[in-house]
Amino acid sequence: MNQNSFSPKARWDRFEPEKSGFNPDALNERIEVLALFKQARIFPKSFLWHDKEYIIETITYNWQERIGQALINYFSVSCAAQIYQISFDNSTFRWQIDKILD
Amino acid sequence: MVLHIDMDAFFASIEEAINPRLKGKPLIVGSRGNRMHTVVCAANYAAKALGIHSGMPTKRAYSIYSKLEFVAADQAKYIWTSEQIFELLKGFNLPLNYASIDEFQLELSGSPDPKPVSLGKEIKAQIYAKFNITASVGIAKNWLLAKLASKLNKPDGLTLIDDSNFEQALRKASLDKLCGMGGKAGQILIAKGMKTCWDLYLNLPEFFNNNPGKFDENPGKSSEKPKSVSHSYTLPRSQINPQVIQAWIRLLSEMVAVRLRQQNLTSVTVHLWLNGPEIGDFVAQKTHQAPTNDGYEVCQRALKIMTKLSHRNPRIRAIGVTCSGLSWSNYQPLLSEEVRREGLIQAIDRINNRFGEGVIYPAITVLTR
Repeated sequence: MNQNSFSPKARWDRFEPEKSGFNPDALNERIEVLALFKQARIFPKSFLWHDKEYIIETITYNWQERIGQALINYFSVSCAAQIYQISFDNSTFRWQIDKILD
Repeated sequence: MVLHIDMDAFFASIEEAINPRLKGKPLIVGSRGNRMHTVVCAANYAAKALGIHSGMPTKRAYSIYSKLEFVAADQAKYIWTSEQIFELLKGFNLPLNYASIDEFQLELSGSPDPKPVSLGKEIKAQIYAKFNITASVGIAKNWLLAKLASKLNKPDGLTLIDDSNFEQALRKASLDKLCGMGGKAGQILIAKGMKTCWDLYLNLPEFFNNNPGKFDENPGKSSEKPKSVSHSYTLPRSQINPQVIQAWIRLLSEMVAVRLRQQNLTSVTVHLWLNGPEIGDFVAQKTHQAPTNDGYEVCQRALKIMTKLSHRNPRIRAIGVTCSGLSWSNYQPLLSEEVRREGLIQAIDRINNRFGEGVIYPAITVLTR
């Protein structure tokens, strides 16, 4: 066993087929978000999607991904017993809703 | 002394943290989005209790329990979490090894104040507080035993193997729990009557004392040259269309070549692995004089290997491309065509580095989408 073989940067899923890939339920729709930027961290508070406001009760998880030079901040958020995944692209300042989790 | 941290059902635990509704329900994380045509890449403990394990086709998993919860894998969050845990562990200022995406090792021997159990507890608590997921910790005199110890009380366990419980711990541990004993080696030893790690110790004590060598500190970036670089892919269904198969070989060749270039490596040997109902496992390799890290060239070499197949047009279910015979790249193109090709590759790499991997790709790979 080569203990030095692991590289977390080695991504295998970037080339996954879009339809059957890791993100088949993608919505990727632009949303408006009210967020708090505090101590180099982002805390989304509510978002507007299809003219409806969703108040974020909990951020259940957050993570980042670098895609080229862009850094994408992902948030899974709970609103009225439903979990949504939203993301913020720091190169375009664009917020989007990625998908609704069951 | 080594402290081994093994995350509990890592991918599945993260998905449970993201969506608390999934907590405690049998859950599998599938390699792809199509839940019936993929494999289990992680199962939570509720699913494991039903006999479902990673590597199992999802169809089989659903035949065991039809109401399984399913989430398609999204590597970005697993990698990010893994890197964050690694950063957290760096804070303990001990030699640290990034063993795999969900395993980390700390060397305690040089520590001025070694209190391994309280350190293990502290690490577990910090990981849980920050990520809402659990880890199991094993502590022992070498990493082989520490890794074994981490498996003995999963999930959320903390096990110390020292002289006082060495025999007891090894008697309790079945041989397949030991690193390297899950495959053929383990089967051979089990066939010889060695059922537990203690049986192996009685026959080969030096295996536990010396093996597998010293602790290798890996601060996340290795300067060592890898032996090979490979990518493989299991298609959702068997595929007979030669153009689609060729497209997959090209895509995998490009992925391998990108990684070679990222590490400034070139390769002289290309291996092709194909799996299909008619051909079973087909593995062949060819070594060339000229080293390469060009995806097109790797693909051409792989396609040449494919002509060795006895079947003219077999159905293919899984494909793997590997490059070995690696050396540091000092390639200087001389011919004008080579200069043009090199310029093209560099331009593609720059575009993909700026806008994200796979933004620009060979046209034939569209057939894989």
